[in-house]
Amino acid sequence: MRFPEALRALALACAMLAATGCLAAAADVKNEIAARLRAQLPSLAPGDYALGSAAFDEGLRAGSDAPAEGAAEVLEAGRRIWARKFKNGRTLATCFPNGGRRVAGNYPQYDPRLKRIVTLEMAVNQCLKSHNEPLLDQGDPRSMGAVMAYLRSLSNGQKLAVRVPAAAEPRFEDGRRLYFTRMGQRNFACASCHVQGAGRRFGDQPLSPAIGQATHWPVIRAGAPITMHARIRECLELMGAAPFPAGAEELNRIEYFLAYLSNGLPLKANVARPAR
Amino acid sequence: MRVSWPFCAIILAMVLDAAAQQPTAAELFAMPDKGHCSACHQLPAGIAPASRADLGPPLSGARMRELGKPRMRALLDDPMTENPDTVMPPFGRHRILDAAEIDRLVEFLHALP
Repeated sequence: MRFPEALRALALACAMLAATGCLAAAADVKNEIAARLRAQLPSLAPGDYALGSAAFDEGLRAGSDAPAEGAAEVLEAGRRIWARKFKNGRTLATCFPNGGRRVAGNYPQYDPRLKRIVTLEMAVNQCLKSHNEPLLDQGDPRSMGAVMAYLRSLSNGQKLAVRVPAAAEPRFEDGRRLYFTRMGQRNFACASCHVQGAGRRFGDQPLSPAIGQATHWPVIRAGAPITMHARIRECLELMGAAPFPAGAEELNRIEYFLAYLSNGLPLKANVARPAR
Repeated sequence: MRVSWPFCAIILAMVLDAAAQQPTAAELFAMPDKGHCSACHQLPAGIAPASRADLGPPLSGARMRELGKPRMRALLDDPMTENPDTVMPPFGRHRILDAAEIDRLVEFLHALP
């Protein structure tokens, strides 16, 4: 082996080692949380984590297979935006493989070219931007929320398979840190309720475990789609913290962390949640 | 300095009005922008509407009297001093409740059946 080839092989081996090490770190985090939740919730079947809070409420669980009230209207609104022709004749569907079918399970994903996490909402706006179309407001349930309801419904049943490559490890770690950091006047962390208190009730509301939290978005509440980011922002307000703005990088990183934790669980969009 | 009767009457009325507007301990226990203790704790039957909240332990008078008022006051002020892993908010330290409100809650909890 000539010297430059040896150097290349060494560099490749180092890169592989680094990647393996970093993947193991994310996997270690997941294993640790999974072990803790298994110990706290020994009667919860592994597949039931995908139900979120419905796993702990007979009424919600019983209704989890029925379409949520108002979901049909939300889906139709989302389908119309999805199918709307751009000025150049293309549509949102042309930006995604398989016209958007079975893609949601791979999001969020790390884009090595942009060096950032790309959520499904961001991918939709990237598509619009690349076709010179106006972007959707990530915090608007009637536009982006409806598109998410439709697009994610095309991936129902797909198992989450979010990758954390070595370069994305700091973003994953940041998501984990944010999830476990106490915030706001109430001094809660997300993990206070969804790891420490998973399966218990806050008021009448059962608390979903961190694993499984990424599987069922948007939820339909009072006929409106609530995305994961919107729900996290609601939680932050409840915690007495100023919510991160819609589309904030902090929310992307929390979503990335939670999606990785839910890897292997099937997606199911537009499940019903009770009005508040 | 002479103070007129009408002036005293107005001040007295304002003080009484402010006192009347203060939430009761039971209200502090339930108000989302105050204690909101009811989100996590259940009270003995008949004291408050039935709840399934169980993020924190159920509160009984016997347990409260075992803790004693000074420790209850300290726990409401900042429970992390005693247990750094607790999820209970530091009501005093984070100014969710003022000292008088904490005192009213302590009396309320201490008198539970």
